[in-house]
Amino acid sequence: MFKNITVSHAPHISERLSTRMVMLDVIIALAPAMIAAGYYFRIHAAVLIATCVISAVATEWLCNVIRKKPNSIGDFSAVITGIILALSVPPILPVWAAIIGSVFAIAIGKMVFGGLGANIFNPAMVGRAFLTASFGMLMTTWTVPATIDPFMSVISAENKVDARTQATPLALSKEAVKTKQGADTVNSQLEAMFEGEVGGCLGETSALALLLGGAYLLIRRTITLHIPLAVITSASVFAAIMCLINKEAYISPLSHLFSGGLLIGAFFIATDPVTAPLSKKGMWIFGIGVGTITMLIRVFGEYPEGVMYSILLMNGVTPLIDRLCKPIPAGGKPNV
Amino acid sequence: MKTDIKSRFSFPGGTHPPQNKNLTSESPIQPGSAVKQVAIMLSQHTGAACRPTVKKADTVQAGQKIGDSDSFVSAPVHSPVNGKVKEISLQSHAVLGRSMAIVIEADAENNPPKEPACDKFTSSFDAEKYSVEQICAAIRDGGLVGMGGAGFPTSVKVEPNPKLPKETLIINGCECEPYITCDYRIMLEWTHQIIAGVKLAKKVTGCKKVFIAIEDNKPQAIETLSQVLRNDDIEVVVVKTKYPQGGERQLIKAVLNKTVRTGGIPPMIGVVVLNVATAAAIAEAVVCGQPLTHRVVTVTGEAIANPGNYYTAIGTTIGELVEFCGGITQKAAKVILGGPMMGIAAADLTTPITKTTGAITILTKQQIGDAKFTGRQTACIRCGRCVEACPENLVPTTIAHAVKNNLLDVAKNYYLTACIECGCCSYVCPANIELTGYIKTGKILLAKQEKRMPA
Repeated sequence: MFKNITVSHAPHISERLSTRMVMLDVIIALAPAMIAAGYYFRIHAAVLIATCVISAVATEWLCNVIRKKPNSIGDFSAVITGIILALSVPPILPVWAAIIGSVFAIAIGKMVFGGLGANIFNPAMVGRAFLTASFGMLMTTWTVPATIDPFMSVISAENKVDARTQATPLALSKEAVKTKQGADTVNSQLEAMFEGEVGGCLGETSALALLLGGAYLLIRRTITLHIPLAVITSASVFAAIMCLINKEAYISPLSHLFSGGLLIGAFFIATDPVTAPLSKKGMWIFGIGVGTITMLIRVFGEYPEGVMYSILLMNGVTPLIDRLCKPIPAGGKPNV
Repeated sequence: MKTDIKSRFSFPGGTHPPQNKNLTSESPIQPGSAVKQVAIMLSQHTGAACRPTVKKADTVQAGQKIGDSDSFVSAPVHSPVNGKVKEISLQSHAVLGRSMAIVIEADAENNPPKEPACDKFTSSFDAEKYSVEQICAAIRDGGLVGMGGAGFPTSVKVEPNPKLPKETLIINGCECEPYITCDYRIMLEWTHQIIAGVKLAKKVTGCKKVFIAIEDNKPQAIETLSQVLRNDDIEVVVVKTKYPQGGERQLIKAVLNKTVRTGGIPPMIGVVVLNVATAAAIAEAVVCGQPLTHRVVTVTGEAIANPGNYYTAIGTTIGELVEFCGGITQKAAKVILGGPMMGIAAADLTTPITKTTGAITILTKQQIGDAKFTGRQTACIRCGRCVEACPENLVPTTIAHAVKNNLLDVAKNYYLTACIECGCCSYVCPANIELTGYIKTGKILLAKQEKRMPA
């Protein structure tokens, strides 16, 4: 009756969570954004998401085989990388570029560091940075949503853009900064930006869908409020100050929040636990860093959007933040 | 009194494992098995181990002292039965592997089962009849140790110490560990004995203020004690049901909102914490002159045929006790001395119970869960759940990974030694990493290293 009893360290029970369940929660939270992408960009959304997910998972599998490591695709982290990469590229990005981005994201962004948990930078952002550096034109060509132009077409074989393109709110905002006028035009699009009926990356146009997903993550306690709140607050404060300086040149804080990748960055990318600090204090610093650097790039930089670079920069200093923000034990430091 | 008491007194961090106390919470304390043989460990407590004071083939009486030590931090051991010393040899020990024990063969005819002392106490108990010296001597001679788990000799805790005057006494009736109900049953059935013990402890420690802390998931115990104590200056404090609420440091935080310094002990801030079972043992030792030879043990787990709370002789083996409870009905995966959060998995059913064993929990594979059973660990995704759950505000994952990679200096730098080993971090980890296990290992390695190479 007592054959094969096992011996191990306490505790002998667990909450029965698994990494896969945590990752599944994130995928569920990304569903509204994916649905919004499908609504606004139709077949492009389906093709891009499927391409990125399949190539990301395949790359992880291949890397495991090459490194003779146990298969790790079952934790679904590669699926998330694929989805986030797909949601953060322009809707009419060619399939081959999406494949290159996904392969780079997983192979160089994650697997060379040793796989899940060991990467310094968010893999999806590494992939996107690679695409931006390599195919700058493709990564900045925006199409209007299909709800405005049902015949939105694809890029033709000669890399010639054949679609009805539209400047994104952030491009207009950059223009406004340069010409010192026209911020109102952007501010007037606020409702469209909230719903997502504007030009932009596949999954970042609809603020509503992203907020729904973010709320789900918070309710499930998969993420804590610290990082999103820090990003949003610091960006809003920055925008408000700029707005006070010159209302004509700088768009309103709300317009900044609902445009570009700020919300997807705040809720889904900056909160990637692997690349964010562990302590609450560290999370505040990290989030404020992301929000402030994003706004610096948006307002003073050459690029219209800065979420990707700000997250990558803050990822880089995360180990330092963790070292600086080492929590003090509940009983204070021991007297040594 | 209302039964839906909710308390906000608590501490930061912690977890909420399923309680599973209903298996035994309604089962009254019953006499344990009539033992044929007991093995009394010479080290059942924190501190110096005892030397045997009897020899092989000596005849011993129930309650006779059979091992003692001259060390200040130690407690003597006594025989629970009339019988003969069979041998003094190495026996299975849950923590130490093998340890010296006195094996006593019980006299088959002359061994009436020991009755609990609870009937000898009434509400009119007066602690003033006993002098401080008398109480101190009875506690030391009775071999009393903390019965909640750590087993720190009670005499050391309560003895008057002019350097560290004590002001507050907290009686710990939290029993935050899942499955275990022995303290709960004692509070319901031995109420007057506990209160007598509390009064004696108050007298000997010289504390002005006395609290009895009970988690809000035990409304019946709260009601019983509040009823009896309504005219006393002993206060029943209801604390939140959260693991590890019964941890000494966490309890002090919850009841007094005071913090014991890292590496410090409660007397440094004038606090003494005693378990309810210890309080009951104090009453028995002082008033009846009975040493600590028996205790209530909860034998529990879904696999046990007759789970319950048994008044058992210390030194009874796990196997004997389990058999007495009707054996098991399903295939057991783990036999734990204590509860599932902090208990120690026994490899050998001949391991005897000690003064600190509050429960024997038998878990099946289903209750442990597949991941925990197979021990498959995946990579840390730094989700921070362990940081959130840690009641001592440490970073368990950093410490554990430092230990894993043999970086003891890093682990120490992240306050490895401040860990109270409650197991919350391992419990919540989605990657199923044995964080507590690594940290415990690191503590042992560090202690060895520092002894070898004094700074």
